[in-house]
Amino acid sequence: MGLLSNEDKDYLKGLFTGMKRDVNILLFTTEEKNFCHFCDDIKAILEELSSLSDRIKIKEHSFEKDPKTAEEYGVKRGPAIVLMSDKDLGVKYYGIPAGYEFSSLVEDIVDIGNDTISVDESLVEQVKAIDKPVHIQVFVTHTCPYCPPAVRTAHKFAMLNGNIKADMIDSNTFYDYANSYGVQGVPRVVINEKHHFEGALPEEEYLRQILNAIM
Amino acid sequence: MLQLKMAKQETKTAEKYFDLVIIGGGPAGLTAGIYAGRARLKTVIIEEMIAGGQSATTELLENYPGFKDGVGGVELAMAMEEQAKRFGTEVIYDRVASVKLSGDEKEVRLANSVIKAKAVIIASGASPRRINAEGADKFHGKGISYCATCDGALFRDKRIVIVGAGNSAIEEGIFMQRFTGDITFVQDLPYLTAEKILQERIKSHPQTKFYLGTLIKSINGTDRVESVTLKVAKDGSEMTIPADGVFVYIGYTPKTDFLKDEVKLNGQGYIITDEDLKTNIDGVYAAGDVRVKEFRQVITAAADGAVAAHSVEKYLENK
Repeated sequence: MGLLSNEDKDYLKGLFTGMKRDVNILLFTTEEKNFCHFCDDIKAILEELSSLSDRIKIKEHSFEKDPKTAEEYGVKRGPAIVLMSDKDLGVKYYGIPAGYEFSSLVEDIVDIGNDTISVDESLVEQVKAIDKPVHIQVFVTHTCPYCPPAVRTAHKFAMLNGNIKADMIDSNTFYDYANSYGVQGVPRVVINEKHHFEGALPEEEYLRQILNAIM
Repeated sequence: MLQLKMAKQETKTAEKYFDLVIIGGGPAGLTAGIYAGRARLKTVIIEEMIAGGQSATTELLENYPGFKDGVGGVELAMAMEEQAKRFGTEVIYDRVASVKLSGDEKEVRLANSVIKAKAVIIASGASPRRINAEGADKFHGKGISYCATCDGALFRDKRIVIVGAGNSAIEEGIFMQRFTGDITFVQDLPYLTAEKILQERIKSHPQTKFYLGTLIKSINGTDRVESVTLKVAKDGSEMTIPADGVFVYIGYTPKTDFLKDEVKLNGQGYIITDEDLKTNIDGVYAAGDVRVKEFRQVITAAADGAVAAHSVEKYLENK
C-alpha cells in the first residue's frame, strides 16, 4: 500500500504539473543500523513522489560505500537527502522528512522544479549579497507544527545564494547530535556553529540573525 | 506509524472581496467556514500557522464525539479544513497584520495584501500562557517548553516537571510517559483540575509525583535547566528538586494583539460577545477560545463557529 491517499496523490500530481526543470534527489543511506531505522520509509516516500512526476528523479548512494560522492555534496552523515536542480543548491534533509516535514519536502521540490524564488521580494537582494559561507542547521521533530517554516526559510535562502547551505536535522534520528548542540526545544536554528535561536522567525528576522552571525 | 502531513496551499486568489473573512483556522474558524460555505457565503479563512491551531498539537482527542477510540488533533483539523473547502470556503496561510472593522466594508490587512469583506468572524484563539518565575526567560526554548508534542522526544529518560494539572497538563504528562518515567506535576491549586478519567490514568503510574498547592519560584541552572525551586503556598516553605525540563500548561493568553482598540475585550483580553457571538461592532463576531467563556474545548469552539456563521448569515440577509 502506498503512503499517500489517492486524493493526496492527485493533489501532488497537480502541484508538480508543469514543473520547468528536473528535481534531482540524492538519497544517502547508511550502514549504521541505529540511524537507518527509517531508511526504507524514506525510500518509499521519495519513490512515491517520483512516481507522481517525470521531473522528480532519485539516485541512491551509500554514505559509507560511496564516500567520494558524499564528500562532493557535503553530506556529513546518513541517512541524508540532497535536493538539487541540475546543480547542488545546498538543500539537505538529515533523517526522515515525515510528519510535518513532509510539507517542507514537497514545497522545496515545487520551488526547485519551477525555479521560483519564494523569499519575500524586499529581502531577495540582501540574501543574494551574502558573500561569506553560511551553514544553517535546523533541528526539528516530526510532531512540531512550528518547524516547517524554519526549515523552509533556511532552504529558500540556500536556493538563492550558493554561499548558504541549509540542513534539516531530525532530532529523533540524530538524538545525540542534537544533544551535542544542547537542543531542548524545536525548531532550534544553528548558524555557523556558534550562533543559534529558537522558534520560527519571520524571514526578515531570520535574515537578520544570519547577518549578525557572519558579522 | 508513518505519518505524512501536508498543508495544502491553494493558489492565492486574486479576488480580495468576500462576504465573510474568518481570522483563524482552528476548530472554531474551520467550522464557521463549513457553515458559511454551505450558506453560500463567499468566505475566506486566514490562518497564520496550521489548520487546527492549538488542537493540532494535541496528540489524541479522546472526548470529541463520534470517535470512540479518539482522533488525532491534526487528523481532525485536516478533515475539517477539507470539509470547509468542499463547500467553497478558501483558506489562505498568512499572518493578519491589522484590521479595520468599523463601517460596512471591513478590512483585514495581511503581509502583502488587503482582504475586504462585509462581515468578520474573529477566531484567532489563544496561545499558552508563559510562566512567570525566576529563570523563565533565560530557559525559554532551552528546557522550558509549551509543547510536549513538539519537544517531548528531546527529553528521553530525563527528569520532567509539568506545571499545571488541568486537562492539557495531564494529557501531555501521559504523552510524556512514552519518553520518561520521571515526571513531577506542580500545581498551584491544592487539587488536580483535569477530568477525573485523566486523573485516574496518571495516578495509575505510581512513580508520578505531585506537588499540589505549590508554586514555581525559580528555574535554575547554568547552561541547562538543572533544578526547580518550589514554594508551598500555605506556609511559604521552599524546596529544590532536580529537573532537566519544564513543561508548562497554566492556561492561555488570547490572541487579540492585532485588534488594537476596536473590539471590546474583558480584563484578561478575551473578546466580549452576546449570545449570537456578536461583538460590540456591527458585522463582527467572535468564536472559540478568543472569546469570554467558561469552557475552552475543541467541541465548544466548533459549536461557536457554527453559531457565529449562522449569525453572520442572518446579519447579511438583513442588510
